[in-house]
Amino acid sequence: MLTMIAAAQLPVLSALLAAGALAKVWTARGEAEPGVLSRLGPAVLVADRWRAPAMLGCAVGEAALVVGLVTTGHPVFRWGTAAFFAVSTYVLWELRRRRPDVGCGCFGEVSAVPVGLRSLGRTMVLTAMALGLVWTPRVPGWALLSGMTWTQAFAALGGLLVLAVLSPEIEEAAARLRYRAPCEQRPLDPAHALGRLRASATWRSHRKLLSSVEPVDSWRELCWRFFVYEGLSHAGEPVEVVFAVYLSGRHPAVRVAMVGFDGQPVEERPLSESMPVSAGR
Amino acid sequence: MPYRSADRRRVLAAAVLGRPLDSLDEREPDPESDPEEGEPLHSITGEILDVSPHLIVVETPEGEEERLVIAPWATAWRGENVSPADLPIGAHVIVRALQGGRVVDRIWADITRITGVIQSVGTGRRDLTVELYCGPHRGRRTIVIPYGASGRLRVRHPQFESGYLFDAIGIREDGAAHARLPATSQPPYRWTSVPKPPPGYGAQSRISGTSTWSDTFDWGERGVAYPMLERADSDCQDAGVSCTALPYLALGSALSVRNVCAGRTTVLPIVACGCLAGRFCDRCLECGTSPRGRIVELSPVSFVELGGELTKGCFNARVGLG
Repeated sequence: MLTMIAAAQLPVLSALLAAGALAKVWTARGEAEPGVLSRLGPAVLVADRWRAPAMLGCAVGEAALVVGLVTTGHPVFRWGTAAFFAVSTYVLWELRRRRPDVGCGCFGEVSAVPVGLRSLGRTMVLTAMALGLVWTPRVPGWALLSGMTWTQAFAALGGLLVLAVLSPEIEEAAARLRYRAPCEQRPLDPAHALGRLRASATWRSHRKLLSSVEPVDSWRELCWRFFVYEGLSHAGEPVEVVFAVYLSGRHPAVRVAMVGFDGQPVEERPLSESMPVSAGR
Repeated sequence: MPYRSADRRRVLAAAVLGRPLDSLDEREPDPESDPEEGEPLHSITGEILDVSPHLIVVETPEGEEERLVIAPWATAWRGENVSPADLPIGAHVIVRALQGGRVVDRIWADITRITGVIQSVGTGRRDLTVELYCGPHRGRRTIVIPYGASGRLRVRHPQFESGYLFDAIGIREDGAAHARLPATSQPPYRWTSVPKPPPGYGAQSRISGTSTWSDTFDWGERGVAYPMLERADSDCQDAGVSCTALPYLALGSALSVRNVCAGRTTVLPIVACGCLAGRFCDRCLECGTSPRGRIVELSPVSFVELGGELTKGCFNARVGLG
């Protein structure tokens, strides 16, 4: 029974190692916010210029272990996994002592919560799981997955649940989703707003009035982005046509106004009355 | 994208969003402003042409000559507190004046604010030479830390290493900036590792925090530098970073700035990118602890007119869209 439970943790260990490797690569390549490496362990324990290589090196090690565990049943990878998590436990302990303000970085940027007893407990459990795996039959991970029984699936699920309870990242991710920064505080690409403007009915109805192809000025204030074009009013006077695009929502509001060079708004000509058309064939 | 003019942007935004349009000079008083906020403060900048114990003559940047009466209680600062009559002819001064701008209350001579990122530190035996990066607009700047001020500065700036922030107040002397006073306690992180703002609960119409001053503005200019500008709009690759949850605004947006300590409010346009201000999460202790780090940097003239003391470096401010 114990052997079966220990063997069932192989997919759990592989999944966690794969997730950790991917998240570390994402963070180290700077896809997350800049400067995040200075708040994540164990990269903070090395000099500034070695932080990204250290995190990438850790990711490469994890990836190698995953490949080894899934494709072969060779004991080197099982002992390697156990050693990896044992060393991780020591590093996290050291990190907690030397830099109590930084996160473990186990899953990249999401692991920004300072290292606590839960993170330490998780690496201890992972070390125990990896050690248990050393004494199980030497079958490759893919073979175990393809022939998994219900009992093994429940054992793996149990292992996952234990790890979930010990993972502060889950609460961190939930908090990020729940307290998403409002539109006013989120960086938003001007090209994206321009695309939304050009897809709008307001743009189509005013396009023929514009005499410049590209906006002559563009700026953002709170959740609005403004685009200014040179143009001609319906009466043929030179004006500036200003569009305001709301930056949030699937179908954002787009407003338009024509302003003379004296600063006075130019009244728009009312829309011509719609022509009645027959809906018949 | 060229930045056209603050006034034109305000006109266009008001037209398209249907907002009322007031000129910055014709604003209704802020409903929060204290009706007893005291006598209006005026600031005059220029070069001293003549000074005596009772009168100072200043040539403004526009070439006008201002003759101002020095109040008996007036004090001056030039690296240290001095008597106004001891200021040298030719010194650049910022004067805080009362009584319609005719009576001098306080004078700061040759004052400069040195805010930047440490690039390299010299190896002088007495005076230290430090090279700073002061943002894309200001560029690099070499400053001198005199031996006599180094102890005071090093206590508040323990990390004298490349990549750490530096903020001091000093004087311009012989063509170089000499640091004299620490303007803040140095943040413990590198300038590329600014802590993220805490999770937001929605946008706020008014934000309280720290307001400082900077000398990156044109001489005598009124306005603010604001950190949260879109990089593409402001032509500032270091913009858009702040440890305070600030909304994005643009060059030309009008901000209502209130000095909470002095109870004075004014509306000022954003005229520059405060790319370094956003990286300071320090608190101002001018009248209680400010609830957040730096939210705006004021021009020296605006800072003085809001009742700020240049040598203290900051005041607690409440800022909203004007």
